[in-house]
Amino acid sequence: MKKNFISYISGLLVVLTIMSSCKKEIGSLNGSTIEELSSNATKFQLNNVVTGTESGMRNSLDFYLDAVGMIGREMYRFAGSEPRYTTDLLGGGSATLNNNTFYLTNSWNSRYRVVKNCNILIQATNNSSLVKPEEKKGYLGFAKTIKAYELLLNLNLTQNNGIRIEVANPDSLGPVVLYPEALTTIAGLLDEAKTDLTGSVFAFKTTLGFNEPAGFIKFNRALAARVAVYRQQWAAALTALNESFFNLNGPFNAGADHIYSTGPNDQLNLTFFPQNQNGEIRLAHPSYSIDITPGDDRIAKATLRTSAASLDNLTSNRDVWVYTSSTASMPIIRNEELILIYAEAKINLTQFPDGIVALNRIRTGHNLPPYAGGITLAALTTEMLNQRRFSLFFEGHRWVDMRRYNRLNQLPLDRAGDDVWEKFPLPLTEM
Amino acid sequence: MRQMLKQALLVFMIAALPALLWAQVPVSGTITDASGKPVPGASIRVKNSNLGTSTDANGKFSFTVPGKGGTLEISAISFKSQTIEVSAASAGLSIQLVEDVGKLDEVIVTGLATSVKRRNLANAVATISNKELTGGAPAQTLDAAMNGKITGAYINANSGAPGGGISIKLRGVTSVFGNTQPLFVVDGVFVDNTATPAGLNTVTAAARGGSSSNQDNPSSRIADLRAEDIENIEILKGASAAAIYGSKAAAGVVLITTRRGKPGQTKVSFAQDLGFVKIRKFLGARTWTAERAEALGGSDAATRAARKQEFLDAQAAGKIYDYEQEMYGEKGFTRNSALSVSGGGERTSFYFSAFQKDEEGIVQRTGYRNSGLRLNIDHRLSDNVKIGVTANYINSSADRALTNNDNNSVTLGVALSSTPSFTELHPDQFGNYPRNKYSASNPIETRDQVTNNEAVDRFVTGVNVDAIFQKSAKSTTRFIGRGGIDFYSLKTTALFPSSLQFQQVAEGTNVQGFTRSLNANYIVSLVNNFIASPSLNFTTSAGITQEQGDYNNLINVATKTVANQTNVDQGSALTAQQLRNKYQDNGIFVQEEVGIIDAITLTAGVRFDKSTNNGDPNKYYAYPKAAFSWNLTNSVIENSFFDNLKVRAAYGQAGNFPAFGSKFTLMNIFNIGGTTGLLVSTLRGSPNIQPERTSEMEAGVDFSVLKSRVNFEISFYEKRIKDFLLQRPVAGSTGFSTEWVNAGDLRNRGIEIGVNAQPIVNKNVRWNTNLNFWLNRSKITKLNIDPVVLGVFGNTLGTFKIEEGKPATQIVGIDGAAGVVQLGDAEPRFQMNWFNELTFLKGFSLRWLFHWKEKGDVINLSELLTDLGSTSPDYDDLNKDGKASGPARIANVGVSARQFVQDAGYLRLREVALYYTFPKLPVNFVKGLRVGVSANNYFTSTNYKNYDPEVSNFGTGFSTGVDVMPFPSSKRATFHLLVDF
Repeated sequence: MKKNFISYISGLLVVLTIMSSCKKEIGSLNGSTIEELSSNATKFQLNNVVTGTESGMRNSLDFYLDAVGMIGREMYRFAGSEPRYTTDLLGGGSATLNNNTFYLTNSWNSRYRVVKNCNILIQATNNSSLVKPEEKKGYLGFAKTIKAYELLLNLNLTQNNGIRIEVANPDSLGPVVLYPEALTTIAGLLDEAKTDLTGSVFAFKTTLGFNEPAGFIKFNRALAARVAVYRQQWAAALTALNESFFNLNGPFNAGADHIYSTGPNDQLNLTFFPQNQNGEIRLAHPSYSIDITPGDDRIAKATLRTSAASLDNLTSNRDVWVYTSSTASMPIIRNEELILIYAEAKINLTQFPDGIVALNRIRTGHNLPPYAGGITLAALTTEMLNQRRFSLFFEGHRWVDMRRYNRLNQLPLDRAGDDVWEKFPLPLTEM
Repeated sequence: MRQMLKQALLVFMIAALPALLWAQVPVSGTITDASGKPVPGASIRVKNSNLGTSTDANGKFSFTVPGKGGTLEISAISFKSQTIEVSAASAGLSIQLVEDVGKLDEVIVTGLATSVKRRNLANAVATISNKELTGGAPAQTLDAAMNGKITGAYINANSGAPGGGISIKLRGVTSVFGNTQPLFVVDGVFVDNTATPAGLNTVTAAARGGSSSNQDNPSSRIADLRAEDIENIEILKGASAAAIYGSKAAAGVVLITTRRGKPGQTKVSFAQDLGFVKIRKFLGARTWTAERAEALGGSDAATRAARKQEFLDAQAAGKIYDYEQEMYGEKGFTRNSALSVSGGGERTSFYFSAFQKDEEGIVQRTGYRNSGLRLNIDHRLSDNVKIGVTANYINSSADRALTNNDNNSVTLGVALSSTPSFTELHPDQFGNYPRNKYSASNPIETRDQVTNNEAVDRFVTGVNVDAIFQKSAKSTTRFIGRGGIDFYSLKTTALFPSSLQFQQVAEGTNVQGFTRSLNANYIVSLVNNFIASPSLNFTTSAGITQEQGDYNNLINVATKTVANQTNVDQGSALTAQQLRNKYQDNGIFVQEEVGIIDAITLTAGVRFDKSTNNGDPNKYYAYPKAAFSWNLTNSVIENSFFDNLKVRAAYGQAGNFPAFGSKFTLMNIFNIGGTTGLLVSTLRGSPNIQPERTSEMEAGVDFSVLKSRVNFEISFYEKRIKDFLLQRPVAGSTGFSTEWVNAGDLRNRGIEIGVNAQPIVNKNVRWNTNLNFWLNRSKITKLNIDPVVLGVFGNTLGTFKIEEGKPATQIVGIDGAAGVVQLGDAEPRFQMNWFNELTFLKGFSLRWLFHWKEKGDVINLSELLTDLGSTSPDYDDLNKDGKASGPARIANVGVSARQFVQDAGYLRLREVALYYTFPKLPVNFVKGLRVGVSANNYFTSTNYKNYDPEVSNFGTGFSTGVDVMPFPSSKRATFHLLVDF
């Protein structure tokens, strides 16, 4: 009995064990995986990655513009539940910039996330046998252009603390590259992208405003012009401008934009707040309305509030009014900046008349009389920076510009003990 | 099998038939406790048989013993077992049971299908009886009712919001990013305790990206269960006791047994509670003066003048408000009705209950409702086959208001924190709420118009089959099968009408979450009991288990909604988010228990588990266990000082499978302009992810002295967690923000000491007291990666940090020139509880429970927010340096995080209750009548500065103990009426 019984039990257990151990793998239920893309992706898959890249470019831009705008003393971001805007970013009291706080890490990580997406697109394109060679060139040119732009935004934050360029393999990241070298690499990447774009075919649509390779090259060259002035390569800047959508007499707002919508899984422009809000607000720095020339129509970017707002000993009575709805598009680079780049390059090449023509184009376009100041490198540089300040208000330039010309010490301090930071530290996770 | 069953049945019937036919001995009597009070529900059984009865509400029984009489075994929960011999008809037996103060006769489940009496148990298993759970001052939900009652547990309420939300950690942190919460098993059914966020993040932006976050303050699903239905809870605190649950047991197992019917007269009980809840304490607000109001204007002269004028006008009009009082000062009415019917015959018994609880909250338009039905049926198919079926339906609904952290200044607390008392927030005569000048939202408007509801329909059902299919003089073999399903659908509704101050951009938001969760599990096992000799017996069990889960959460977010419409299609922009989880775990186990002269118990077992969540879904992981206990009083020591003395040791391993999907790197949906896009996820998967492994060694000694009136239970444990799972931050330049890794090893060590005693026992007064002390220390013993800062809000404000050589729960932050240093530890230095029951004056019973948590820090950021909003009650009070406290603290932000890390120790009278049982009843169909009053949370002594030292902005995960404007905690007072028919 006992023996029979034991063999019976064993038998039962074996049967049950076999029953229960049939092989089972539950796949990913919540979306496609990287692996699915890396082997022989279809055009549809590649196009999804293109669109995702463009969508992701908008992530955390509000943090970027707030951080750069505050340090550049363009504006204040007040938040009832977040003190660090007015402490850390302005260096209030003895507060300093932290290397592991949202104002840095959110934008930093968002930019590299897009870089990663570009690298996935490059790899998927190279591994795909379902795409024609000229179409491949289109994907590659797109990916490299966007990658260069995203790297540039992060470099703007950390400047001489550097960025990483080689990041395709997460298990073996390239070194941190310092400012001048990083700018050179970014310029090289844009050039490489231009080569790819030349003679390519777009099998995809972009939302940035340039749907054909020829147009996209113009966007690419506009970015190249910006990088060139950052590198003080004035002649190169003019060359790039000529191949871009630069038009001295064209509309200021022509250019490449991020668009927004309320569609599913799309995004809203988070830099928009209605006017006269309380608690969560963006205010123009008081100096904006003080320094602006009376009659300048750019005062419309800083509208008067019904009542001033104060926080942490900072007060302003003007709202930032650059993005006027939650679906307002946000420029990546536009003709007004290109005109100013043209002016900057000409001034630095001491071709002052050309520079003044461009400055006057800006001035008259904003209801100001033509330039009547001194015609020296110093005076014109000041005027050019001043026009950039008002023309590109809250578009992320002021701090970078003043730093380029070593004029950070000219930015106003609101409270005793405040500081103007030169650069962000490298994020903690990069150490 | 059938053949054998038939044979066995035949043999048994032939053997039993003569006795059944030819002789019987009628017996009847009363069973009382030491003070002479009747013991209802005591069981009277013929020893080693299935024949018996139980006492009625008056402790009376009558029963006919077949044959020539025999040994009757009388047992009742919380009394020591007794035997009496009956050989002739006897009526009017009077049997007095002795209280089992040390619970030595309590039967503890030690395997998936086996159990042992506590006197031979190798682990310190905590149990909570129904009386301890509900007999004092009952909390709102089951999870809250367990608080302060489990030695070795750190239980923390996340907030005071109706419907609960509680974190339970047994013996320290067992995981950092894996599951830290114990497994709940109700009558053999694994029940889900997921906390599902309601998608509030869409509006609060507490965390960026996605519509929900762990700061949504969801409740824990275990709160659905009803404490009144529970007979007993057993807590297997670590791997050494719970190893047989394998990969799910790393954080411990909570075994819940619900009430069952007993043969005998049908008993009908009705209980009605009525009471109220109030805020536990108000913090107060800053006292405003014209100068202080003026200062709110900052540096702008016009604004300064306007603020000052606003104050003066309000003062003149008598319109200085106490908004805290208005917001949290409601006295919520509570009621709770429960009807239970139980009884049964020889073959079938049942327990049925119906209940409804309805409670208002301390904030208008909040509250909690829970209704349900339970039917438990046990049927004896034959003398060898028992079947039990449990079925429980629950419908619950919690209105939880909008609280906790946010980045849009919309939650009640965050908005109040910057709103001075002299500004007007009340609606005008046309019902228009003024815009709040001091915040992005008007909290009075938010309270009146925002809905945040969680509604659950849940069905839990289980089946137990216990069949003896082989029985001989020395060996019994049983087949035990148990399993069941736990299904719920959870609907979360968060409505933000377009008229709200903060809805001007979104123009109305409607977030609706639909969750469907199905969990199913079964255990099929064979248990053989072999009595080799009177002093040596073996219990062998083996079996297989399977657990499956399927969780599907769909969140729809509509914006630009139509006024007063709540359907999700009533808007012009709709976006959706879906999260699915699915797993199947399979296990095989064998366990051998050897009992030697009823004194030494040796146990060894192993479980093999695999899971679809592992990198390799087909790999089995083995979890062994071994235990030893030696009751010296039953063997070595006789007639000594000790009435009972036991030494014990146990070792076991358990696991924690990776979270679903941790092996994949996803491409997320990121659209633009109506085109579909894919953007790489910020979380990098790990294809080689492995389960965590916990091994626990526990040793202890238990003894009873003074005629078992004083019992001690002392345990030491060491719990090592190997390869703990971590979502570590990675260099942002990889494109990812975090990745899954098996990061290192951590250790918990602790001591648990329990004393229970009966200092007074006589005819008039009986006092039972139970004092427990426990502490835990954790340490990261190995970390394969760089130190990891976890969650919270960065070094400036204080954060958790996983660092080798440091406690797992340390809190770090910047501290001036010292840089980033350890500023505290969330772990309590120790905890104690003291539970008492005093019965006196023939019918009065007083119960009280104190809970003392010594130290244990919380990161208090609520105070920071009121400081920044210039509304802290002590804003102008001079600190020890003679400076105004509020500005001094603000000046310190960015310099040191020390001020945020605050001691959250407390001494709390969790429960106090006085009951009276009527000795004489007005009418004879009423068999029992009891009335009582109770108070819950009425006394707390703490240095902690915000509403409650129990708080968690981040819910039930690892990072409990962060305070960002929670729903304030409440205290409860209740009147109780209980009638038995």
